[in-house]
Amino acid sequence: MNDPVNDLVEVRPGVYRDSVTLMRVSRSLTDRPGVTVAVVAMATELNLGLARDLGFAVPPATPGDLLVAVRAASPEELKAAAAELERQLAARAPASGARGEAAPPRTTRSAARAFEASLALVSVPGEHAFAEALDAVEAGLSVMIFSDNMPVEQEILLKDRARDKGVLVMGPDCGTAVVGGAGLGFANVLRPGPVGVVAASGTGAQQVTSLLDLAGVGVSHVLGVGGRDLSAEVGGRSAVRALRALDEDPATGLIVLVSKPPAPEVARAVRDLDPATPVVAALLGPGQDDLTTAAEKVLRALGRDVPEWPSWPAPANRADAADASAPRHAKPSGGERGGTAARGGAGGALRGLYAGGTLCAEAALVAGAGEFTDFGDDSYTRGRAHPMIDPALRLEALRGVASGVVLMDVVLGHGADPDPSSWLAPAIREAVARGVDVVVAVVGTDGDPQGLRAQAARLNEAGAAVFTSNAAAARHARLLAGP
Amino acid sequence: MTLSMLYGEPRVITVGAQVLGEALDRQAVPRREVDWRPPMAGSSAALARVLADPRRESANATAVGRMLSARPMLTAVRPAREVLGLRAGEFFHAGPPITWERASGPMRGALVGASLFEGLAATPEEAEERLASGAGITLDSCHHHRTVGPMAGVVSPSMWMLEVADAERGGTAYCSLNEGLGKVLRYGAYGPEVIERLRWMGEVLGPVLAAALERCGPLDLRALVAQALQMGDELHNRNRAATSLLVREIAPAVVEAAPDRAAEVLRFINGNDHFFLNAGMAAAKVSADAARGVPGSSLVVAMARNGTDFGIQVSGLGDRWFTGPAGVPDGLYLGGYGPDDANPDIGDSTITETTGLGGFAMAAAPAIVRFVGGEVSDAVAATTSMYEITMAEHPAYQIPGLGFRGTPAGIDVALVARTGLLPVVNTGIAGRIAGTGQVGAGLVSPPAEAFTAALDALADG
Amino acid sequence: MSVGTRPRGRRAATPASRPPAAPAYLSGAASVAVRPALEAPRRPARVLAAFPLALYLEIRSEAEPHVVAVVTGEATRLPNAVLLAERLDGVSAGDDAWVGEGSVEVGGVSIRVRRWWDPAPPLGPADPVRLAPALGLLGRARAASPRRPGLDPDGAPALLERGCRAGSLVESITAAERLIGLGPGLTPSGDDMLAGLLVALRHLGAAAGVPRAVWLADWLAAAVTYDARTRTTPISATLLHCAARGEASPEVTGVLRGVAGHQPLEPAVHRLLRLGHTSGADLAWGVQIGLSAVLAHREGQ
Repeated sequence: MNDPVNDLVEVRPGVYRDSVTLMRVSRSLTDRPGVTVAVVAMATELNLGLARDLGFAVPPATPGDLLVAVRAASPEELKAAAAELERQLAARAPASGARGEAAPPRTTRSAARAFEASLALVSVPGEHAFAEALDAVEAGLSVMIFSDNMPVEQEILLKDRARDKGVLVMGPDCGTAVVGGAGLGFANVLRPGPVGVVAASGTGAQQVTSLLDLAGVGVSHVLGVGGRDLSAEVGGRSAVRALRALDEDPATGLIVLVSKPPAPEVARAVRDLDPATPVVAALLGPGQDDLTTAAEKVLRALGRDVPEWPSWPAPANRADAADASAPRHAKPSGGERGGTAARGGAGGALRGLYAGGTLCAEAALVAGAGEFTDFGDDSYTRGRAHPMIDPALRLEALRGVASGVVLMDVVLGHGADPDPSSWLAPAIREAVARGVDVVVAVVGTDGDPQGLRAQAARLNEAGAAVFTSNAAAARHARLLAGP
Repeated sequence: MTLSMLYGEPRVITVGAQVLGEALDRQAVPRREVDWRPPMAGSSAALARVLADPRRESANATAVGRMLSARPMLTAVRPAREVLGLRAGEFFHAGPPITWERASGPMRGALVGASLFEGLAATPEEAEERLASGAGITLDSCHHHRTVGPMAGVVSPSMWMLEVADAERGGTAYCSLNEGLGKVLRYGAYGPEVIERLRWMGEVLGPVLAAALERCGPLDLRALVAQALQMGDELHNRNRAATSLLVREIAPAVVEAAPDRAAEVLRFINGNDHFFLNAGMAAAKVSADAARGVPGSSLVVAMARNGTDFGIQVSGLGDRWFTGPAGVPDGLYLGGYGPDDANPDIGDSTITETTGLGGFAMAAAPAIVRFVGGEVSDAVAATTSMYEITMAEHPAYQIPGLGFRGTPAGIDVALVARTGLLPVVNTGIAGRIAGTGQVGAGLVSPPAEAFTAALDALADG
Repeated sequence: MSVGTRPRGRRAATPASRPPAAPAYLSGAASVAVRPALEAPRRPARVLAAFPLALYLEIRSEAEPHVVAVVTGEATRLPNAVLLAERLDGVSAGDDAWVGEGSVEVGGVSIRVRRWWDPAPPLGPADPVRLAPALGLLGRARAASPRRPGLDPDGAPALLERGCRAGSLVESITAAERLIGLGPGLTPSGDDMLAGLLVALRHLGAAAGVPRAVWLADWLAAAVTYDARTRTTPISATLLHCAARGEASPEVTGVLRGVAGHQPLEPAVHRLLRLGHTSGADLAWGVQIGLSAVLAHREGQ
């Protein structure tokens, strides 16, 4: 029974915060002792329904209002939670607006008038992204659209306008970009260097560039174009522009194109560009190179040595998982098959629990068999944050695996979870104790805020075999799973 | 193709998830964060269609360019009968079209007063009866006739009109002569002193001004407004500097044209700080009309109220009105009056806001900041927020306190829907009961549905 | 592991369940020129000078760069700089600091780098036909500017220009040795001029296909860096080491891009001229001498 005395339900008209911010507020309230449940969200139909299902008496509201619904075990704890809520909302209020200070701009158009920008980063909900992105293009700015769920005709229109204005539209659904060294969206801390990347796949580009960084090779720019750009419908509008721009960029000595195999006519258009700068294609699909092999091709094309990609085999004695070993290095994937000995559990079903879509597809291709889930897929992110930020669904899935082999990715860098091993390591430890083999691909660099080696070591201490190459991780998992 | 963002320091505008902006802060990337909020409820689909209209960007540039390049000149003062072809029994009124049945107290009062003035009735009761019956009476919106009128804005054949011509594109616009404050027709008063004043204005003021203007030639209102803004007027609720400048321009000609009437004419103008308002409104009207009829443009070319409805017209949507209920202004009241005595918003004077003056230029008028909350910073906030919903900054109308930045000019229906920010409108407050007159002055918010309805129409167009 | 910066006033970005880290962490961007110093073992350093927008830390080390600038806001992004989004207050000259193992520690905060920039971005090929008009424009912009170089044009600067144009190692190195450390301030005028010359010779020489200019840059760089530490201020010595490798601030590389025809030259020159008291004018002078030498050697090819 819900005692309404310990429920706080409020609608605050016209108060807006973005969904990731509100998700964090909700989570930190839920984590408080005595708080049973907390929903702090924009009052969309979905969220209102959620609150009603939880038994809250929700007053009428519009999607432009903020919904607050908190339930606690006692009135005191409810009061404390309410105070914490105020503190957090105040801290997350948009900058300025105070008396005497210039009010913050309300549209991208207005911001562009007052601030000499080189590009805009749009991450508002998809149905509203078009207006902001168009503002940027009309102001003569390139734009990265992190938002997804933008209708394809809007994407095409934006990209055509961008052509007229001499700017680039990265996205929609563009997860990563590095421009002039600045990591936008989910991006790793990469050293400057000669490799320019055109990416229709965010995590795919992160894997390739992270491996290059581990090999001491940096990037000039990583230009995301959005997952749909190389489809027949969009016709590679942005990919073609990005390739041309990188071809003209004196800092770019080699271009990598990371994508699913493009539509045939788009592939032809890209080929017809015939840039003066050499291009290495990393086109993920059956019969194509995996991303690690593509990164190795890039290194060879630059005349660089291919290093052994760092990996950390699972501790030999699984009962004493905390006895971590020093990192080992896997052989280059080119010639290696099963170089890392399969050992440990009794094998069994392979479950892939992924946050990165391309990494998931690559792992499924390399492993050949098993059940793979991409938790970054739209059907899992509706109404919640991306799994690279919100681990809840993946954790639940991991806890549900009783035996066999689990293969996961952990993507580090800007925008990603600040400390993924803090929640993943305990869950791995439990899984290993249940007899599950856990294999993790960590995509990241030494410069990333989370620290690649520190994260890898903690996951490894918990009992996982850890790889920096997703393909190597998938191969290892396949061996563990057995025939 | 050279992509400029690849060279030089990245500088980023972020809009959306805060976590992505904070990641840039940690990289010491200079950035500006947009304080984004969802658009007005129910406007998303229409917004997407309107923004995608390939004509929009250039149509808006054309329309707002015409509005801002207009050069309004005060050319003449002439009777309405003559210049507007008004016949006995025909009245123009402020705001979107309205019937006697739906008209509010002050609108009815002004129509009664005008009927008395035109000799259509001997008593107010008789006038009311005739207006209610509709016999031989025609009502129409001023805006349909290149005309604007403050408050009730009632124009009848015998009233004298200021004529303003656009020297840039050749349009003309008209506005009546300002009667002064207190019990006046435009606030719905129709007592004997009101009618008597109207007579004097028709017999003395109008002809003398007409003769004076013939002598001193067309008056450059654009230059005059620009100067007045730098002297503390916002040209809607404060016209003190503009009126003084006008007097200075025409006084010698008035003396020359009518030596024996000059003193009373000049004393009348001088005694009314709002005398310039009507000239400014005609100037605004001729500028806004220059921007009409550009297909695909989402520029607002008229905002007007009749005391019952608040209506707007949009450049790309012809003469259609998009209306919502007129709100009751929030403001300061005269004497013993209070909010209960106030009529809903009324008048065409919002044509000043339509062209970047009035509430949009509040930051220029520190003397009247009481209307917007009491402090100069509130006035600055009011003006700066209007840059969010306007297409341009006025090239001639500048605000000293904002570093001579041009006033925010040219309201975009799409930007209003996107930001949820409604135009800031300064206004006088009329008494609810016919015949009361002015009860106060303050600020009013237009109804959001007028803008969303216009947006829907643009989306369908 | 650090969680990264919490810019002041946004502390609440830390989830409530996780207390803020004990030492304050800041993060920012840095030139890759300082990467070796940051990746080296942790070494003691001291604050050489502290200004509102910049701190200079001298590392106790023989290796270059041995001076790291920590700059904020609109301060120039020197080629040896770590850039922060916010000011560091309460630091004075003489304070202790540490540099290495991935961070700079000063004034009670630990600074980590989350973005790297290249202070010597490749210029790409330059159309040689454009170089001569660019030289004229650069000269006119310098002459029209109220910003004057800090040195008398006769004497060593004249000798340097003559030597570089003639490709005479003896003359140019003699002039360079007279110029090192010449003039007042943290970065003496002579050093700024040499820095401008070195980057111009290297980048424009490569861009215009004039190997002789790059050869001259190599020799001058060797001469200038050989005993820079004993001849000039520590900050200036590090900047000369940077210039010897072609590394410069964006204001200088912007002018080089302008000379090469990749962006408008005139605004770039004015941005450079505005730097410091005389630094910008001295650097621009050096760039002009370098460009004139590249043109002279190109004709000789």
